Amino acid sequence: MVRLITHNLLACHVKGCTTNNFPLVFQDAQVEIHEAEFNEDFIRGFMPKIEWKALVDSARQLGDTSLPEEQPEMADDDFLKTLHHVLLEMHIEEGAMVCQNCGHVYPISNGIPNMLLAEHEIG
Amino acid sequence: MPSDTSKAVIPIQVIDEPQAHEKRHVHEVYDQIASHFSSTRYKPWPVVANFLQSIPTGWVGLDSGTGNGKYLPLPANRSGETWTIGLDRSQNLLRIAMNANYGDTNCIREVVLGDAIETCWRVSAFDYAISIATIHHFSTKERRERAVQSLLQTLSPSHGRALIYVWAIEQDALSKRSIPISEQSSPGHGEDVFVPWVLSKQQDKSASDSAPERRVHHRYYHMFEKGELRDLICGAAHGMGLTVGSPREGLGPVADGMRQKIRGLEIVEDSWERSNYYIELRLWEVEAPDS
Ligand SMILES: [Zn+2]
Repeated sequence: MVRLITHNLLACHVKGCTTNNFPLVFQDAQVEIHEAEFNEDFIRGFMPKIEWKALVDSARQLGDTSLPEEQPEMADDDFLKTLHHVLLEMHIEEGAMVCQNCGHVYPISNGIPNMLLAEHEIG
Repeated sequence: MPSDTSKAVIPIQVIDEPQAHEKRHVHEVYDQIASHFSSTRYKPWPVVANFLQSIPTGWVGLDSGTGNGKYLPLPANRSGETWTIGLDRSQNLLRIAMNANYGDTNCIREVVLGDAIETCWRVSAFDYAISIATIHHFSTKERRERAVQSLLQTLSPSHGRALIYVWAIEQDALSKRSIPISEQSSPGHGEDVFVPWVLSKQQDKSASDSAPERRVHHRYYHMFEKGELRDLICGAAHGMGLTVGSPREGLGPVADGMRQKIRGLEIVEDSWERSNYYIELRLWEVEAPDS
């Protein structure tokens, strides 16, 4: 599966591609929503590690505009549930992720992103 | 069970180009034996389970070489408090890993098709990582060291924790395997071997009607000897400019009163268990004092 929790951690790793290689941009993404159990403590703990702008932009690419531009300093219950939904309930089943720097396309098939490179692309 | 020579471990020398060797004797084999392999690998090892149990709530980790994903649902009694993302080279194993659970939940796992030697993550993305029975599949010392470095690079330099397991030449008395030592082997460098996996026609989902009754797949392993995993990890750490030792040992004299951060790696456990060597490590970062 690729959800935004994972997408927020992935980066392009083509040889020499070291700037502007994050976040990867979704292309032709097919999204499915699957409910996941809400764990407030996990979301609170993970929050400071999120690359916020990348998450907001990526969620918008997938048609979800529920997150604020800036990460709020005080996280109330509603906000944490919204964040939970964006991080853990939107599954990208098919499509691709494209590097904005080098243009490399990482396909997503049956919910599994393919991050393998051809031999000449490996750093 | 009758004595069966087709299951004996065979000492080898890697003569092919390393990537080609691994493709043929690791990646292709796992894709073919995936479902049978997975049905024999359902019990989590207690040391790994305890490590995952010790991870604080809110942390995100990487299981590099996740196989059938049996560690992804752990710790089972704290479901959802941490998230482990599984990476593997075998698409067929990942399809199994996606649905890994211990019966209590119907949770879907996060899995990524990738190579443990590459770093497809932003730097310092993870709080913890496990590499269980994976690094021994890389066929040169340089590639094993790079795999360790890839793992370390994905970890937070200030608090990252990792557990690494590899197979040992020194096998458990209960193990059916004995590791023959080839004449070419030199001390300190471990042993390259093929470990056979026998797949009967019934177990092989891709077998055609005319296929032979059983096929033997040879999986490549680099069997580690005592001290070799520690040397590998220390070499990888030094190559990245990390101090090996406790944070206190990192506080050496600093040139020219420059304030800078010193980064290091501490080995907190170095043991042998049931035919495996394993090391648990922690990364640390301290502000160097003004001199
Ligand atoms: Zn790129």
